[in-house]
Amino acid sequence: MSEPTMRSPLHSFGLEEQAKPIDGSCGVWANEIPHLGYISLRGNGTDPAFVTAASTSLGVSLPLRPCTFASSNGITILWLSPDEWMIVCPRAQLSALLGSLRHALTDVRSQVVDNSGGYTQVIIEGPNALDVLQHVSVYDFAGLEPGRVVGTTFGKSSVYAFRQGEGYRVVIRRSFADYIWRYLVRAAVPYGLGIADLAGSRVTEEGVPA
Amino acid sequence: MSSYRVRRPGARVDFDKPLTFSFDGQAYDGFAGDTLASALLANGTRMLARSFKYGRPRGIIGTGPEEPNALMQIETGAHTIPNLKATQVELYDGLVARRTTGWPTLEFDLKSLGGLFSRFMPAGFYYKTFQNQKLWPKFEHIIRQAAGYGSAPSEPDPETYDHSHRHAQVVIVGGGASGLLAALLAGRAGLKVVLLDEQNECGGWLLSSPHSVIGGEQASAWLKSAVGELQSLPNVQVLTRTSAFALHDMNLVLAVEQLQDHLPIADRAAHQPRQRLHRIRAERVVLATGAIERPLVFGNNDVPGIMTASALTTYLNRYGVAVGKRILLQTSNDHVYQGAADLARAGCEVVLADTRTRINPAWEKRVRAAGVDVRTGFGIAYARGRRAVTGAQLVKLDAQRNVVVGSGPSIDCDALGSSGGLSPTVHLYCHDGGRPHWDEERLAFVVPEAGRAKSGIYGVGAVTGEFGLQNALEQTERITRELLSSLGKSAPTSSGNLKTDEPDATPARRIFRVPDGRAEGHGKKAFVDFQNDVSAADIHLAVRENYRSIEHIKRYTALGFGTDQGKLSNVNGFAIAADVLGKSIPEVGTTTYRPAYSPVTFGTLAGAHAGDTFEPRRYSPMQAAHVARGAEFEPVGQWLRPWYFPQTGEDLHAAVRRECLAARRGVGIMDASTLGKIDLRGKDVREFLNRVYANAWTQLAPGKCRYGLMLDENGMVMDDGVTACVADNHFLMTTTTGGAARVMTWLEKWHQTEWPDLDVYMTSVTDHWATAAVVGPKSRQVLAKICSDIDLSPSAFKFMDWREGTVAGVPARVFRISFSGELAFEVNVDANYGHHVWEALMDGGREFDITPYGTETMHVLRAEKGFIIVGQDTDGSMTPLDLDMAWAVGMKKPFSFIGKRSFARSDTAGPNRKQLVGLLTDDPQIVLAEGAQVIERADVTPPAAMLGHVTSSYYSPELGRSIALAVVRDGIARRSEDGHKSGRDLLYAYAGGKAHKVTVVSPVFVDPKGDRQNV
Repeated sequence: MSEPTMRSPLHSFGLEEQAKPIDGSCGVWANEIPHLGYISLRGNGTDPAFVTAASTSLGVSLPLRPCTFASSNGITILWLSPDEWMIVCPRAQLSALLGSLRHALTDVRSQVVDNSGGYTQVIIEGPNALDVLQHVSVYDFAGLEPGRVVGTTFGKSSVYAFRQGEGYRVVIRRSFADYIWRYLVRAAVPYGLGIADLAGSRVTEEGVPA
Repeated sequence: MSSYRVRRPGARVDFDKPLTFSFDGQAYDGFAGDTLASALLANGTRMLARSFKYGRPRGIIGTGPEEPNALMQIETGAHTIPNLKATQVELYDGLVARRTTGWPTLEFDLKSLGGLFSRFMPAGFYYKTFQNQKLWPKFEHIIRQAAGYGSAPSEPDPETYDHSHRHAQVVIVGGGASGLLAALLAGRAGLKVVLLDEQNECGGWLLSSPHSVIGGEQASAWLKSAVGELQSLPNVQVLTRTSAFALHDMNLVLAVEQLQDHLPIADRAAHQPRQRLHRIRAERVVLATGAIERPLVFGNNDVPGIMTASALTTYLNRYGVAVGKRILLQTSNDHVYQGAADLARAGCEVVLADTRTRINPAWEKRVRAAGVDVRTGFGIAYARGRRAVTGAQLVKLDAQRNVVVGSGPSIDCDALGSSGGLSPTVHLYCHDGGRPHWDEERLAFVVPEAGRAKSGIYGVGAVTGEFGLQNALEQTERITRELLSSLGKSAPTSSGNLKTDEPDATPARRIFRVPDGRAEGHGKKAFVDFQNDVSAADIHLAVRENYRSIEHIKRYTALGFGTDQGKLSNVNGFAIAADVLGKSIPEVGTTTYRPAYSPVTFGTLAGAHAGDTFEPRRYSPMQAAHVARGAEFEPVGQWLRPWYFPQTGEDLHAAVRRECLAARRGVGIMDASTLGKIDLRGKDVREFLNRVYANAWTQLAPGKCRYGLMLDENGMVMDDGVTACVADNHFLMTTTTGGAARVMTWLEKWHQTEWPDLDVYMTSVTDHWATAAVVGPKSRQVLAKICSDIDLSPSAFKFMDWREGTVAGVPARVFRISFSGELAFEVNVDANYGHHVWEALMDGGREFDITPYGTETMHVLRAEKGFIIVGQDTDGSMTPLDLDMAWAVGMKKPFSFIGKRSFARSDTAGPNRKQLVGLLTDDPQIVLAEGAQVIERADVTPPAAMLGHVTSSYYSPELGRSIALAVVRDGIARRSEDGHKSGRDLLYAYAGGKAHKVTVVSPVFVDPKGDRQNV
């Protein structure tokens, strides 16, 4: 029996082989950040017991302001709704985080769900990143400040999007990933799309594949 | 040849850049900056179309989207575009244009033969002639060809299109003087501004009037500095060649930008879209859409060479084309005077016939000084000429009433321009519910000055009826300041001197149809709508035939239809109808202005929603494995699922037969990843499930699974699936593939709105889990090869149990559940490992000849067991009892469940309901059509009373015969017991003209006791 190997949702596009360091040759750079851990967390944001237990366990304060996110120690917590968060972490930390969260929230009305197979993340940056986002989504990305996250459309599907550093990240569902990537590639045609080499670049600050 | 080039200072064509193009196969010259229309006129072209109904010669009338006649087929092959207006086609080198009308030829149009057709084609011709609908198909082909209009390309579109979603504080539609000034003020105030103009450059009427004066400088200089300043402001975006064609609720402006149509095909960039749809949300919308001059209605006013007066001016000043040498202008107002002077100064012989007796003395002085021959109190009775205008017969008009009081001179001319006033371009204002106001003083439907400020919509300039340049600019400044203060801004500096050199205006004459001294219909045809050949007489006829509403008159006469949407004709039509009806114009009102303002290509509307990005295609994590094994796929909702796995030479039936037998007798494997999966957790999760499912969940122990039916409020089955107890406060629900999102929303809705007190949260994990169902008598052996930490023995791992363990080295949840009636294990893993585990199961199953199967085999296997598919065997009107599934309803639960109360409704509880049964055809080889009607007797002719219909029908390889599921009235009582034939069980299934004898039986065809899934 072969060793268990993971295949990310965009595996079939062979992005890793096409990747090159970001330079001035393309208007848009994108790539998948594969194999991160995703935890769906639900609970009452106005319940101090829940907020304290979750924040303490994660080592990051749960963002309570609508459409914001918090990052620390490689963990990013996205506010999705008044009672729902998504925790993005390096795959290596996933089971420890799941364990400590569940333990901390044992007696608190809440839900902790491993959704790591269900999502992946795409980075979009470059001088025309905003133009491309204007093509694919109805949201006013020019007005998206750093530290904000939104759930919005992407063609006929939906994504969570936030700004990180110079670029944008979109968190997408696995089963829609093929469509979303094709839509992105199509939208980027007028500007030239480069597949960004993520290894060793700032975009891996959140963690690389386990 | 009567038209010629005039090297006008300020013209927007580049005389240093000559171009060549072809029209109807003949080569012509033009210049950069020309439109196809201006270039054709410069080459002396008069007739370039034949009219729709009468085949009359037609020429260019306007300069923009109002043009009714000059419809062109541009380019050839895949790039061909039908029905573009020559006035809107920018000329480029090598452009190929063809006429779209004239049949069989432009020179000889069959319809024009001696008025042969016209006598038989009055208003309402189609309604009257084709009341007998059987005749229509015969005539349609001939009529369409005779009417003309271009052809769509037959090849696939080689170009691409996209959409851009923009957000602005202020969108300004129209880049004329008012729009530019509004943009300058908003831009200087630091607002995020988008200025849209449909032409190749901003300027609007200033481009036709470059020598007007604004603030002491020439309009052309003012324009240059305004555009320059806007381009320097980073917060202002100016989009030219961008036509705003719709204004929707919440200030959504839709605009199409022509990115490449103005370039020779060889020069177009392959990576750029041809056209882009901008969807702009704006806090404030400023309509600076200007106005379009409307012609006067007089006899033979459609002869080529007759235009709007402003078109003559525009062709002269903007394009450097004098349309004629001897020009007759006919007006009711002041607007033509500047143009008259310009034409005379350019060397034309100009006669200006004003219908008014009292005219503006300042203007009169100016035009006489330029050499214009001014005649007051005259109207045109009719024009002369057939393929080109040669002159006109004038008549003396009464000073007040629009009647002829005497004869007038006959004037020779080779071009004729008329002006009945200006019609503001109110379309966008009306798209989302606004109505224009009739301004009797200005003789125009206008946008009220304040627009709908409450909704953030403002009007400035000519669209509000401010036709004078200085008035328009001053009003624009005032309105824009109001707009700015509504956004908490103020215009930082004065807009400077906005004084112009126009004389004060003199009132226009209220005249639309110029009288010819004869009763309507007895003189020369006087056209209101050129594109649809609607004459003034047609409107009279419509009213005589008792059409009263302008919307009905429009539809009866075709006034205002077509690609120009009546931009020249509507107001004349409304006014003439008002006169005939004896009503005022506001009483008659307008027809409805709907998007699009001007035609938009389907490609633009589709944008990137085309080809492989037309619709989301969702794939399972094992997709690559299925492709590698040659699967055929079928769409299930947005998912693409393996349908069957043909081996060499196999068709669907052969493959399904092989796959079915493998699952029944050996081992099969199916990708079940697409099923909806919802994780539910909380102390009250059991109670929540009790309420959303028909059956009871209180007793289900951890490690166990249960099938559940979900009902809507009416007690009808809306979804089904297996739910597993993970822990006392933790369950995993599965839903149908197509119902996943609906069920998730349903659960959230009930929890949030009705039972927020219940301690439960739910999260979709559909995409997290990859699911491989290993199915068949040998499935246990296969799983055992790659799973060592779960006791798979029948006594330790029973049917409807689930276990946590490791499969192929990956943490897994294994469910012993079955949608086939066979021993089966559904292996669930993190989707990132889905492909790995699938391949491991294939490896482990090789020695057992493991057979992947798709949805078709799944359907056969489940139908053999009588397992329903919600939405196929149910249709929103089936209760659990109709499905003979009382066992899945827990009537004793302490709290009610959704749908329970509806069971007591008289219809739901009553007799004669359609119920799920099995059907067996007498001839075992006949597979009934799904949808076949179930009837009582064979000797009926349709329509016949139906008892029900076939919902699922297959050939069962296991049984070697066909099987079917059906819903049949009182079906359960009709079921044949042990082959006993009561008579009631014998029915017929009717499809395709044949009635097949069937026996009603239990829907469980295979293994009725369910032994196989329990081994």
